[in-house]
Amino acid sequence: MKFSQALMAIAAATAMQVAVAEPAHATGKIKCEAGPQSGWVSREKLEAELKAKGWKIKKSKVDGGCYEVYGTTPEGDRVEAYFHPVTMEKLLVSRRGKVIFRKKG
Amino acid sequence: MIRRIANNLHIMHNLYFFWALLAIPAVFMILRYLGDPETAFDLIHPSGELSVRLMIIAMMVSPLRQLFGRRGWTDWLLKRRRAMGVAAFGYALLHLVFYLIDMAVWEQIVKDAMIFSIWTGYIAFAIFAVMALTSNDSAMRMLRANWKRLQRFVYAAAILTALHWVYVDGEWRGALIHFIPLAALEIARVAHIFTKRSRSAAQAEAVT
Repeated sequence: MKFSQALMAIAAATAMQVAVAEPAHATGKIKCEAGPQSGWVSREKLEAELKAKGWKIKKSKVDGGCYEVYGTTPEGDRVEAYFHPVTMEKLLVSRRGKVIFRKKG
Repeated sequence: MIRRIANNLHIMHNLYFFWALLAIPAVFMILRYLGDPETAFDLIHPSGELSVRLMIIAMMVSPLRQLFGRRGWTDWLLKRRRAMGVAAFGYALLHLVFYLIDMAVWEQIVKDAMIFSIWTGYIAFAIFAVMALTSNDSAMRMLRANWKRLQRFVYAAAILTALHWVYVDGEWRGALIHFIPLAALEIARVAHIFTKRSRSAAQAEAVT
């Protein structure tokens, strides 16, 4: 019993450490160093630009300092895409966790 | 006699109350969807997460019984294991339905199903479906020893579910936090079995 209790204590400690290690909003998939938010283009502008290109958008938010967009590409694929909040450049596109586009560099 | 009736009426002892309790989040999710069909997308994650939580609690019952023995609270959990398991399937079904509604386009659903993160989810769901359909006394009687063998597929389903979660998210933290308690209990269970075995072996040696 002692051994199993020790194991559980270790597990609980690990879980807590994982939980507090990083803020819940940054998923760690990608990071944008884009400076203060005052210099960013608005999410509305990015969404409008994407819609004009033929995207359909379900939802967008800030993740890891980038804009993250859930939606459908002009080709009809359901994806999760990251854009730079200043240049609006497409950085990463994945489909159900499978990366289908990553900006070089 | 009167005490017995009073005990049975006590709301936490009532299994029907427990089933109803497990159904409450589903009612809210469905109402939210009916209020605005666009929310199907937002309901995919919560329904899946609740399904995983119920599956994990149901799976924790057996190692908890082995480690802590038959006690009031382990008995309480055991009596509710079937309800939790079936509810886990129920929320997995809701999760799948919200996903399909959100996807809407048949070709896209098929295209998704080819991806590792998605087909692991489908297989886990198929296992849960078989388990839920046989989670009743008549199926237990009919299948006899095979029933237990069938229920052991839950371990495969749990691993597939964990992979499904990690790969859809593209990161492991959310899934890890959920699966750690179960993994720790399973390790403790194995350790417990081994220490018990070596202790009884030592005792047998001391006798001879």
